[in-house]
Amino acid sequence: MRSRINACALGLIVMLVILCGVGPELSPYEQSQQNLELKATNPSLSHWLGTDPLGRDMLTRILHGGRVSLEVGLLATAVAAVIGVFYGMISGLAGGRADAAMMRVVDILYAFPFINFVILLMVIVGREFWLIFVAIGAVEWLTMARVVRGQVLALKNLEFVTAARASGAGFWHIVWKHLLPNVTGPVIIYASLTVPGVMLLEAALSFLGLGIQPPDASWGVLIREGASSMETYPWLLLYPGLFFSATLLALNLLGDGLRDAFDPKSMSQHQA
Amino acid sequence: MQWLVRILILIAAVAGIAWFHQVRTHRPTRVEEANRKGILLLGNGTEPATLDPQLASGQPEHMIFHSIFEGLIAPAAGNPDGDAPGAAESWTHDGTFTTWTFKLQPQGRWSDGSPVTTADFLFAYQRILSPKLGADYATMLYPLLNAEAYHSGKLKDFTQVGVKALDDHTLQVTLTGPAPYLPSMLKHYSWFPVPKHVIEKHGKIDDRGNTRWTRPGNMVCNGTFRLKSWLVNQNVEVERNPHYWDAASVKLNGIVFLPIVSDTTEERAFLDGQLHATLTMPLAKIPVYREKKSPFFHSDPLLSVYFYRCNVTRKPFDDVNVRRALALAIDRESITRNILRAGQKPATGLTPPGTLADYHTPDVMRFDPAEAKRLLAAAGYPDGEGFPVFDILINTSEAHRTLAEAVQAMWKKHLNIPVRVLNQDWGVNLDSQRKLDYDVCRAAWVGDYLDPSTFLAMWQTGDGNNNTGWSSPRYDQLISQSFREGDAAKRLQILKEAETLMLNEAPVLPVYWYTHSYLMRPEVKGLLPSLLEHRCYKAVELKP
Repeated sequence: MRSRINACALGLIVMLVILCGVGPELSPYEQSQQNLELKATNPSLSHWLGTDPLGRDMLTRILHGGRVSLEVGLLATAVAAVIGVFYGMISGLAGGRADAAMMRVVDILYAFPFINFVILLMVIVGREFWLIFVAIGAVEWLTMARVVRGQVLALKNLEFVTAARASGAGFWHIVWKHLLPNVTGPVIIYASLTVPGVMLLEAALSFLGLGIQPPDASWGVLIREGASSMETYPWLLLYPGLFFSATLLALNLLGDGLRDAFDPKSMSQHQA
Repeated sequence: MQWLVRILILIAAVAGIAWFHQVRTHRPTRVEEANRKGILLLGNGTEPATLDPQLASGQPEHMIFHSIFEGLIAPAAGNPDGDAPGAAESWTHDGTFTTWTFKLQPQGRWSDGSPVTTADFLFAYQRILSPKLGADYATMLYPLLNAEAYHSGKLKDFTQVGVKALDDHTLQVTLTGPAPYLPSMLKHYSWFPVPKHVIEKHGKIDDRGNTRWTRPGNMVCNGTFRLKSWLVNQNVEVERNPHYWDAASVKLNGIVFLPIVSDTTEERAFLDGQLHATLTMPLAKIPVYREKKSPFFHSDPLLSVYFYRCNVTRKPFDDVNVRRALALAIDRESITRNILRAGQKPATGLTPPGTLADYHTPDVMRFDPAEAKRLLAAAGYPDGEGFPVFDILINTSEAHRTLAEAVQAMWKKHLNIPVRVLNQDWGVNLDSQRKLDYDVCRAAWVGDYLDPSTFLAMWQTGDGNNNTGWSSPRYDQLISQSFREGDAAKRLQILKEAETLMLNEAPVLPVYWYTHSYLMRPEVKGLLPSLLEHRCYKAVELKP
C-alpha cells in the first residue's frame, strides 16, 4: 500500500517537473505577456485557468512559477545539504572541544530570527535572485548538520573506521571513502523532507515581498496576489494553491517513502 | 454504557463549538464599542514618519495634523475646502491680496493652557524657513516677502521677512505679490503654528533631530484634539482638547488613526468592524462595490496626480529624450480604463482639472509608441539596445505593484528596455526619494491649496519636494514671476508656460488624475468630501 502511494507521489513530482519545464514553452502566451483589455477572466477555452487583472494567462504563470519554486526548492536544499554534511561530519569526527564549539554555533544560529537575517542580507547584498538560495540554504543546513554529526559519532567508533585509521588512512580519506557513503541515506531522506520546507520559506519570503521580483512569479507570489483578491477572483488563489499543496504533499510522501526504504526500522514502527 | 458516554462527549463538544461560535460572532465589534465611546477609527495608510508639522510631507501625517493642530484659517464645517475661523477669528487684506492682517482668537490656548500668540506664529515661520532645519515644505512659505532669501541663507535677519506681530493677537503678513489663494494655503500644515515654549524647552529652533517635543506627554498642540498616545506601527490616538477655543462644538471624544499599509488588509478590517472609514481600497474591488451600490462605497473627486519621478542625476535619465520616450510609451488611457476603473482620468499634464476654473492644463502627455521609439534611438538606444536595467521604486501596496507591472510591460513592449519593480516601506521610500537613491519612483501629489502653483512650485531648483534633481533656470524664473504677477489672467498664463516647459522636459511622468475611493460606515456624519483631503474633524459625529 505504502509503496503504491510512494509511486504515485514520485509520478506526480515527475509530472510536475516535466509540466513546469516544458509547459511554458508550449503555451501560446508568455508568462509576463499582458492583455489589459482582457482584465481578469474566468477559466475559458483560450485561457484554461483564467487570467489575472493584467490579462496574463494564469496557466502559463503557474507553470512558470512552478519552475522558480522547484528551482529554489532543489538548489537551496543542495546548498543546505553540502554545508550541513561537511559541517556535521567535521564536527562529529573532530569531537571534544571543537565539536562542542561547533554545535554551540549551530545553537546560536538556530536562535537567530530568519526573516531579520534575510532582510539584512538583502540590505547588504542587494536584491539578487541567487540570494534566496543562499539565504534559505544558510538557514536550513543547521538541522542537516545535527543529523550528520549524530551519524558520524556512531560511525567513527565502528571497526571499519578504526581499521582504516590503523592502516594509516588520512582524515580526508576516512571522510571521503568511509563516512560519506554511510551518511548518504539519512542525508537523502532529510533533504527530500527539506525541499517542501524550503518552498514554503520561499513562499513566505515572496509573500512579504522579499523574494522573487515581478514580472517573474513563484507560487508564493501567485498565492499572495491571489489572496489579495480572493473574494472577487477566487481562481487566482485556488489554482496556484492547488499546484503548490499537491507538490508539497507529494514531496512529503516521497520523503516518508525514502525513509522507509533506507531505514527498515522506522518502517516497522509505522506498521506497529 | 460506553455509548452513552460517547454521545455525551459528542454533545458536549458540539455545544462547546456552538457556544464558541456564538461568543465570537456576537461580541461587540470594535466599531460598535467605539460608537458608544464616541471615538472615530480611521485607516490612515502608513505609519507617520513624524508628528512635527514642519518636518512632515506625507498624506498620513496630513490627516493627523488636521486633528491636533489648527492654522490661522480652518476648513469649514459644511465644506472642508471652504474657509472658517481657526486660530484667527477674523482676517482682512489690503484689497490687492498682498498684505493680510489676522486677528487671533482671544481665547486661543495651547493644549497645556498657555495662550496662542503671534510669537508662536513668528517662531513657527522662522523655524520652517531655517536653512538648517531642512523642512521639505519650506517653499510653501515662499509667497511671504523675503522668505526665499531667508531660507536660502542670503538674508540672516528674520525681521525682514514679511510677517510681523502688531501686538500679541494681531499678525500682519506681507507677500511678494498678490495671492488670492492665501486662505486656502493657510489650511496646509506647513503654515500651522508650533508651540515656541515647548520646542525651545526640548532643543534648538533649527535642530532637525529635536523630535522629543512630539512624543506623547511632551506634545503640545492647538487643535481640536490633542495627542494621547503614539504606538509605532499600532496607532496614533488623539483625545478631545479641553483648551481648544471652540471645544464646545466638538462632538467626538477622540480619534484613532491606524496605520494599515495594505489596502486589502484595510478593507478586511473595515468589513470586520474595526474601522469607521478606510483611507483607500483595493483597485480590484472598486467595480464590485460600484455595481452592488454598496452603502459603504464612496468615490469623491480629489485634487491629486499620480506620477513617476525620474532621477535626472542618474544615467540614462539625464537625457531628456530618454525621459520623453518613457513618458510617451505609457498607455494612460488603457491604464485608467482597464486597471483602475474607478473614474480616474489619464493625466495629459500635471495639474488636475478642477484646480482652478480659469486654468487649462497643457495637453503634453500622450501615448505615441512610434515617437517614443524614435526618441529612444536618438538618445543612443535603438530598440532599447544597451539600455541599463533599472528599477521602478514603489512603496508597499498592491495597487502600486499592479500599476508598476503594467508600466513595466509597456516599456518592455514598446521600447524593449529591461525594468524591474522594487518595493520599499514608506519611510525608506521617502528617504530614497529625498536622497535621490532611485531610478524611477512612484509618487503622487495631493494639492495643498486651490491653485495650480501647488502642483508647479515644487519643481523649482532645490525644492524639498522636487526630489528628481531636475533644475531649469527658466522654470524657476517663471514660477517666481508668477508669485509677483498682479494680473490674474497673466499669472495663469505664466504658470501654463512653466507647466508646458516642465512637461516637455519630463522629469516626472504623470500617469493619472485620482479619484478618492474609500469605504465609510453610514453612522459617520460630517466627514465630507474634499478636493484637498482637508478634514473638519470637529464637525464629525457618530450617529449609529
